[in-house]
Amino acid sequence: MAASKVKQDMPPPGGYGPVDYKRNLPKRGLSGYSMLAIGVGVMCFGYWRLFKWNRERRRLQIEELEARIALLPLLQAEQDRRQLRMLRENLEEEAVVMKDVPGWKVGENVFHTDRWVAPLTEELFNLRPREELPHKRFGFLWYV
Amino acid sequence: MPGSVEVPTFNDLNVEEISVSSAVLKGAAHHYGSQCDKANKEFMLCRWEEKDPRKCLNEGKKVNECALNFFRQIKGSCAESFTEYWTCLDYSNLAELRQCRQQQQAFDSCVQDKLGWERPNLGELSKVTKVDTSRPLPENAYHSRPRPEPNPVIEGQLQPAKHGSRLFFWSW
Repeated sequence: MAASKVKQDMPPPGGYGPVDYKRNLPKRGLSGYSMLAIGVGVMCFGYWRLFKWNRERRRLQIEELEARIALLPLLQAEQDRRQLRMLRENLEEEAVVMKDVPGWKVGENVFHTDRWVAPLTEELFNLRPREELPHKRFGFLWYV
Repeated sequence: MPGSVEVPTFNDLNVEEISVSSAVLKGAAHHYGSQCDKANKEFMLCRWEEKDPRKCLNEGKKVNECALNFFRQIKGSCAESFTEYWTCLDYSNLAELRQCRQQQQAFDSCVQDKLGWERPNLGELSKVTKVDTSRPLPENAYHSRPRPEPNPVIEGQLQPAKHGSRLFFWSW
Protein backbone atom coordinates (compact mmCIF):
# COMPACT_ATOMS: atom_id res chain seq x y z
CA MET A 1 0.00 0.00 0.00
CA ALA A 2 1.98 2.89 -1.23
CA ALA A 3 0.71 6.23 -0.04
CA SER A 4 1.50 7.52 -3.49
CA LYS A 5 -0.42 10.19 -5.20
CA VAL A 6 -2.19 8.04 -7.83
CA LYS A 7 -4.77 9.85 -9.84
CA GLN A 8 -8.11 8.24 -8.99
CA ASP A 9 -11.64 9.11 -9.73
CA MET A 10 -12.86 10.48 -6.42
CA PRO A 11 -16.03 12.33 -5.47
CA PRO A 12 -15.84 16.11 -5.59
CA PRO A 13 -14.64 17.85 -2.42
CA GLY A 14 -17.56 18.40 -0.02
CA GLY A 15 -19.40 15.41 -1.36
CA TYR A 16 -22.20 15.30 -3.85
CA GLY A 17 -25.21 17.53 -3.71
CA PRO A 18 -28.62 16.37 -2.47
CA VAL A 19 -30.41 13.75 -4.68
CA ASP A 20 -34.14 13.99 -4.89
CA TYR A 21 -35.52 10.47 -4.75
CA LYS A 22 -39.06 11.31 -3.69
CA ARG A 23 -41.99 10.76 -6.12
CA ASN A 24 -42.66 13.70 -8.43
CA LEU A 25 -46.08 13.37 -9.98
CA PRO A 26 -47.28 16.97 -10.32
CA LYS A 27 -50.92 17.68 -10.88
CA ARG A 28 -51.10 19.41 -14.22
CA GLY A 29 -53.35 19.87 -17.21
CA LEU A 30 -57.07 20.41 -17.40
CA SER A 31 -59.56 18.65 -15.22
CA GLY A 32 -61.78 15.93 -16.60
CA TYR A 33 -64.85 18.11 -16.66
CA SER A 34 -63.18 20.82 -18.67
CA MET A 35 -61.78 18.29 -21.17
CA LEU A 36 -65.27 16.91 -21.59
CA ALA A 37 -66.58 20.41 -22.07
CA ILE A 38 -63.95 21.13 -24.72
CA GLY A 39 -64.74 17.92 -26.55
CA VAL A 40 -68.47 18.57 -26.48
CA GLY A 41 -67.84 22.14 -27.56
CA VAL A 42 -65.76 21.06 -30.55
CA MET A 43 -68.47 18.59 -31.54
CA CYS A 44 -71.16 21.23 -31.27
CA PHE A 45 -69.13 23.59 -33.38
CA GLY A 46 -68.71 20.82 -35.94
CA TYR A 47 -72.45 20.13 -36.01
CA TRP A 48 -73.28 23.80 -36.39
CA ARG A 49 -70.92 24.09 -39.38
CA LEU A 50 -72.38 20.92 -40.87
CA PHE A 51 -75.96 22.15 -40.58
CA LYS A 52 -75.04 25.49 -42.06
CA TRP A 53 -73.38 23.87 -45.02
CA ASN A 54 -76.32 21.50 -45.48
CA ARG A 55 -78.66 24.47 -45.67
CA GLU A 56 -76.38 26.07 -48.22
CA ARG A 57 -76.31 22.83 -50.22
CA ARG A 58 -80.09 22.72 -50.12
CA ARG A 59 -80.21 26.23 -51.53
CA LEU A 60 -77.81 25.25 -54.29
CA GLN A 61 -79.87 22.18 -55.09
CA ILE A 62 -83.02 24.30 -55.27
CA GLU A 63 -81.24 26.58 -57.70
CA GLU A 64 -80.30 23.68 -59.95
CA LEU A 65 -83.82 22.28 -59.81
CA GLU A 66 -85.23 25.67 -60.74
CA ALA A 67 -83.01 25.75 -63.80
CA ARG A 68 -84.62 22.46 -64.78
CA ILE A 69 -88.12 23.79 -64.07
CA ALA A 70 -87.48 26.79 -66.27
CA LEU A 71 -86.36 24.62 -69.17
CA LEU A 72 -89.08 21.97 -68.96
CA PRO A 73 -91.60 23.55 -71.38
CA LEU A 74 -88.98 23.85 -74.07
CA LEU A 75 -87.82 20.29 -73.63
CA GLN A 76 -91.37 18.96 -73.47
CA ALA A 77 -92.37 20.78 -76.64
CA GLU A 78 -89.33 19.46 -78.48
CA GLN A 79 -89.99 15.95 -77.23
CA ASP A 80 -93.62 16.09 -78.32
CA ARG A 81 -92.68 17.25 -81.77
CA ARG A 82 -90.04 14.56 -82.08
CA GLN A 83 -92.48 11.84 -81.09
CA LEU A 84 -95.15 13.08 -83.46
CA ARG A 85 -92.63 13.33 -86.27
CA MET A 86 -91.56 9.73 -85.70
CA LEU A 87 -95.18 8.60 -85.62
CA ARG A 88 -95.80 10.39 -88.88
CA GLU A 89 -92.82 8.74 -90.52
CA ASN A 90 -93.96 5.37 -89.25
CA LEU A 91 -97.44 5.99 -90.63
CA GLU A 92 -96.14 6.81 -94.08
CA GLU A 93 -93.84 3.77 -94.04
CA GLU A 94 -96.80 1.63 -93.03
CA ALA A 95 -98.83 2.96 -95.92
CA VAL A 96 -96.03 2.01 -98.27
CA VAL A 97 -95.30 -1.40 -96.76
CA MET A 98 -98.88 -2.64 -96.28
CA LYS A 99 -100.11 -1.39 -99.63
CA ASP A 100 -101.06 -4.78 -101.01
CA VAL A 101 -102.38 -6.41 -97.86
CA PRO A 102 -106.17 -6.84 -98.17
CA GLY A 103 -108.30 -5.44 -95.37
CA TRP A 104 -105.57 -3.43 -93.70
CA LYS A 105 -106.49 0.04 -92.50
CA VAL A 106 -103.42 2.25 -92.37
CA GLY A 107 -103.03 4.07 -89.08
CA GLU A 108 -105.74 2.10 -87.35
CA ASN A 109 -106.04 2.69 -83.64
CA VAL A 110 -105.22 -0.47 -81.69
CA PHE A 111 -107.31 0.70 -78.74
CA HIS A 112 -111.04 1.21 -78.45
CA THR A 113 -110.64 4.66 -76.95
CA ASP A 114 -110.09 8.09 -78.50
CA ARG A 115 -107.64 9.45 -76.03
CA TRP A 116 -103.96 9.97 -76.72
CA VAL A 117 -101.97 6.90 -75.74
CA ALA A 118 -98.27 7.60 -75.31
CA PRO A 119 -96.42 5.56 -77.94
CA LEU A 120 -94.00 2.89 -76.76
CA THR A 121 -90.30 3.29 -77.49
CA GLU A 122 -90.31 0.02 -79.38
CA GLU A 123 -93.25 1.21 -81.46
CA LEU A 124 -91.52 4.46 -82.36
CA PHE A 125 -88.16 2.93 -83.20
CA ASN A 126 -89.55 -0.11 -84.97
CA LEU A 127 -88.56 0.88 -88.48
CA ARG A 128 -85.24 2.41 -87.58
CA PRO A 129 -81.81 0.74 -87.53
CA ARG A 130 -81.40 -1.64 -84.64
CA GLU A 131 -78.66 0.33 -82.87
CA GLU A 132 -80.86 3.32 -82.09
CA LEU A 133 -83.13 1.54 -79.65
CA PRO A 134 -80.52 0.86 -76.91
CA HIS A 135 -79.37 4.48 -77.17
CA LYS A 136 -82.90 5.64 -76.50
CA ARG A 137 -83.60 3.17 -73.73
CA PHE A 138 -80.32 3.29 -71.84
CA GLY A 139 -78.74 6.55 -72.92
CA PHE A 140 -79.30 8.32 -69.60
CA LEU A 141 -78.70 5.30 -67.40
CA TRP A 142 -75.84 5.84 -64.96
CA TYR A 143 -75.86 2.56 -63.08
CA VAL A 144 -75.09 -0.80 -64.56
CA MET B 1 -115.00 0.12 -84.13
CA PRO B 2 -111.69 1.86 -83.49
CA GLY B 3 -110.97 4.76 -85.78
CA SER B 4 -107.57 5.91 -86.92
CA VAL B 5 -105.05 7.81 -84.90
CA GLU B 6 -104.69 11.35 -86.15
CA VAL B 7 -101.05 12.23 -86.48
CA PRO B 8 -100.20 15.79 -87.56
CA THR B 9 -98.42 16.31 -90.86
CA PHE B 10 -94.80 17.29 -91.29
CA ASN B 11 -95.93 20.80 -92.10
CA ASP B 12 -97.52 21.22 -88.71
CA LEU B 13 -94.45 19.89 -86.98
CA ASN B 14 -92.11 22.10 -88.93
CA VAL B 15 -90.94 24.58 -86.34
CA GLU B 16 -87.70 26.48 -86.14
CA GLU B 17 -85.81 24.56 -83.45
CA ILE B 18 -83.24 25.91 -81.06
CA SER B 19 -79.92 24.29 -81.85
CA VAL B 20 -78.07 25.02 -78.65
CA SER B 21 -76.39 22.65 -76.22
CA SER B 22 -77.21 21.82 -72.63
CA ALA B 23 -74.70 24.08 -70.87
CA VAL B 24 -76.03 27.09 -72.82
CA LEU B 25 -79.59 26.26 -71.82
CA LYS B 26 -78.68 25.71 -68.21
CA GLY B 27 -76.73 28.95 -68.05
CA ALA B 28 -79.60 30.96 -69.43
CA ALA B 29 -82.28 28.98 -67.60
CA HIS B 30 -83.03 31.39 -64.78
CA HIS B 31 -83.40 34.40 -67.07
CA TYR B 32 -85.35 32.31 -69.57
CA GLY B 33 -87.72 31.26 -66.82
CA SER B 34 -88.52 34.81 -65.87
CA GLN B 35 -88.63 36.28 -69.39
CA CYS B 36 -90.52 33.62 -71.33
CA ASP B 37 -92.78 32.83 -68.41
CA LYS B 38 -96.12 33.44 -70.13
CA ALA B 39 -95.63 31.23 -73.17
CA ASN B 40 -94.09 28.47 -71.07
CA LYS B 41 -96.88 28.39 -68.54
CA GLU B 42 -99.56 28.41 -71.23
CA PHE B 43 -97.95 25.47 -72.97
CA MET B 44 -97.62 23.48 -69.77
CA LEU B 45 -101.20 24.23 -68.80
CA CYS B 46 -102.46 23.13 -72.20
CA ARG B 47 -100.39 19.96 -72.11
CA TRP B 48 -101.50 18.95 -68.66
CA GLU B 49 -105.17 19.75 -69.18
CA GLU B 50 -105.65 18.25 -72.61
CA LYS B 51 -103.29 15.32 -71.97
CA ASP B 52 -102.65 15.26 -75.70
CA PRO B 53 -99.56 16.66 -77.42
CA ARG B 54 -101.38 17.07 -80.75
CA LYS B 55 -103.67 19.72 -79.28
CA CYS B 56 -100.83 21.85 -77.97
CA LEU B 57 -98.73 22.28 -81.07
CA ASN B 58 -99.55 25.98 -81.41
CA GLU B 59 -98.56 26.73 -77.85
CA GLY B 60 -95.39 24.76 -78.47
CA LYS B 61 -94.66 26.95 -81.47
CA LYS B 62 -95.06 30.03 -79.32
CA VAL B 63 -92.68 28.56 -76.74
CA ASN B 64 -90.09 28.06 -79.45
CA GLU B 65 -90.57 31.56 -80.82
CA CYS B 66 -90.18 33.07 -77.38
CA ALA B 67 -87.04 31.05 -76.75
CA LEU B 68 -85.52 32.01 -80.08
CA ASN B 69 -86.29 35.65 -79.41
CA PHE B 70 -84.69 35.35 -76.01
CA PHE B 71 -81.49 33.87 -77.37
CA ARG B 72 -81.35 36.42 -80.17
CA GLN B 73 -81.56 39.22 -77.64
CA ILE B 74 -78.75 37.73 -75.59
CA LYS B 75 -76.65 37.22 -78.69
CA GLY B 76 -77.33 40.81 -79.69
CA SER B 77 -76.21 42.46 -76.52
CA CYS B 78 -74.38 40.23 -74.07
CA ALA B 79 -72.73 37.58 -76.21
CA GLU B 80 -69.19 37.57 -74.76
CA SER B 81 -70.04 37.38 -71.09
CA PHE B 82 -72.65 34.73 -71.86
CA THR B 83 -70.13 32.70 -73.84
CA GLU B 84 -67.68 32.87 -70.97
CA TYR B 85 -70.37 31.81 -68.54
CA TRP B 86 -71.51 28.78 -70.44
CA THR B 87 -68.01 27.64 -71.32
CA CYS B 88 -67.22 27.72 -67.61
CA LEU B 89 -70.37 25.69 -66.90
CA ASP B 90 -69.49 23.23 -69.62
CA TYR B 91 -66.21 22.44 -67.90
CA SER B 92 -67.83 20.27 -65.22
CA ASN B 93 -69.78 17.07 -65.80
CA LEU B 94 -72.96 18.22 -64.13
CA ALA B 95 -72.68 21.87 -65.19
CA GLU B 96 -72.71 22.95 -61.54
CA LEU B 97 -73.88 26.48 -61.14
CA ARG B 98 -71.87 27.08 -57.98
CA GLN B 99 -68.50 26.73 -59.70
CA CYS B 100 -69.08 29.69 -61.98
CA ARG B 101 -70.29 32.45 -59.70
CA GLN B 102 -67.92 35.11 -61.05
CA GLN B 103 -68.93 34.67 -64.65
CA GLN B 104 -72.56 34.49 -63.57
CA GLN B 105 -72.16 37.82 -61.82
CA ALA B 106 -70.60 39.38 -64.92
CA PHE B 107 -73.35 38.03 -67.17
CA ASP B 108 -76.09 39.15 -64.79
CA SER B 109 -74.79 42.68 -64.51
CA CYS B 110 -74.33 42.90 -68.30
CA VAL B 111 -77.88 41.72 -68.92
CA GLN B 112 -79.27 44.01 -66.28
CA ASP B 113 -77.51 47.05 -67.73
CA LYS B 114 -78.30 46.41 -71.35
CA LEU B 115 -81.65 44.63 -71.32
CA GLY B 116 -83.02 45.43 -67.89
CA TRP B 117 -83.59 41.79 -66.92
CA GLU B 118 -83.27 40.77 -63.31
CA ARG B 119 -82.31 37.29 -62.26
CA PRO B 120 -85.18 35.81 -60.26
CA ASN B 121 -84.40 35.14 -56.59
CA LEU B 122 -84.28 31.68 -55.11
CA GLY B 123 -87.70 30.09 -55.04
CA GLU B 124 -89.43 32.41 -57.47
CA LEU B 125 -89.41 30.02 -60.39
CA SER B 126 -90.92 27.20 -58.34
CA LYS B 127 -93.93 29.22 -57.25
CA VAL B 128 -97.34 28.07 -58.40
CA THR B 129 -98.82 30.50 -60.93
CA LYS B 130 -102.29 31.06 -62.27
CA VAL B 131 -102.44 31.15 -66.04
CA ASP B 132 -104.94 33.26 -67.95
CA THR B 133 -105.85 31.56 -71.22
CA SER B 134 -108.55 31.94 -73.80
CA ARG B 135 -108.62 28.21 -74.39
CA PRO B 136 -111.66 26.57 -72.77
CA LEU B 137 -111.21 23.83 -70.22
CA PRO B 138 -111.68 20.46 -71.94
CA GLU B 139 -114.45 18.34 -70.53
CA ASN B 140 -113.67 14.64 -70.26
CA ALA B 141 -110.00 14.94 -71.16
CA TYR B 142 -109.61 11.20 -70.68
CA HIS B 143 -112.38 10.41 -73.19
CA SER B 144 -113.93 8.09 -70.66
CA ARG B 145 -117.17 6.32 -71.42
CA PRO B 146 -120.32 7.55 -69.68
CA ARG B 147 -120.26 6.41 -66.09
CA PRO B 148 -122.81 3.71 -65.14
CA GLU B 149 -125.96 4.62 -63.24
CA PRO B 150 -125.76 4.47 -59.47
CA ASN B 151 -127.38 1.48 -57.78
CA PRO B 152 -131.10 1.93 -57.08
CA VAL B 153 -132.13 2.67 -53.54
CA ILE B 154 -132.87 -0.54 -51.61
CA GLU B 155 -136.54 -0.76 -50.69
CA GLY B 156 -137.72 -2.46 -47.57
CA GLN B 157 -136.27 -3.02 -44.12
CA LEU B 158 -132.72 -4.39 -43.94
CA GLN B 159 -132.25 -7.11 -41.31
CA PRO B 160 -129.07 -8.96 -40.28
CA ALA B 161 -128.81 -12.37 -41.96
CA LYS B 162 -130.72 -15.22 -40.36
CA HIS B 163 -128.24 -17.89 -39.06
CA GLY B 164 -125.24 -15.65 -39.74
CA SER B 165 -122.92 -15.90 -42.69
CA ARG B 166 -123.72 -19.57 -43.37
CA LEU B 167 -120.07 -20.09 -44.29
CA PHE B 168 -119.20 -23.75 -43.55
CA PHE B 169 -119.93 -24.26 -39.87
CA TRP B 170 -119.99 -20.70 -38.63
CA SER B 171 -123.33 -19.58 -37.51
CA TRP B 172 -122.51 -15.93 -36.95
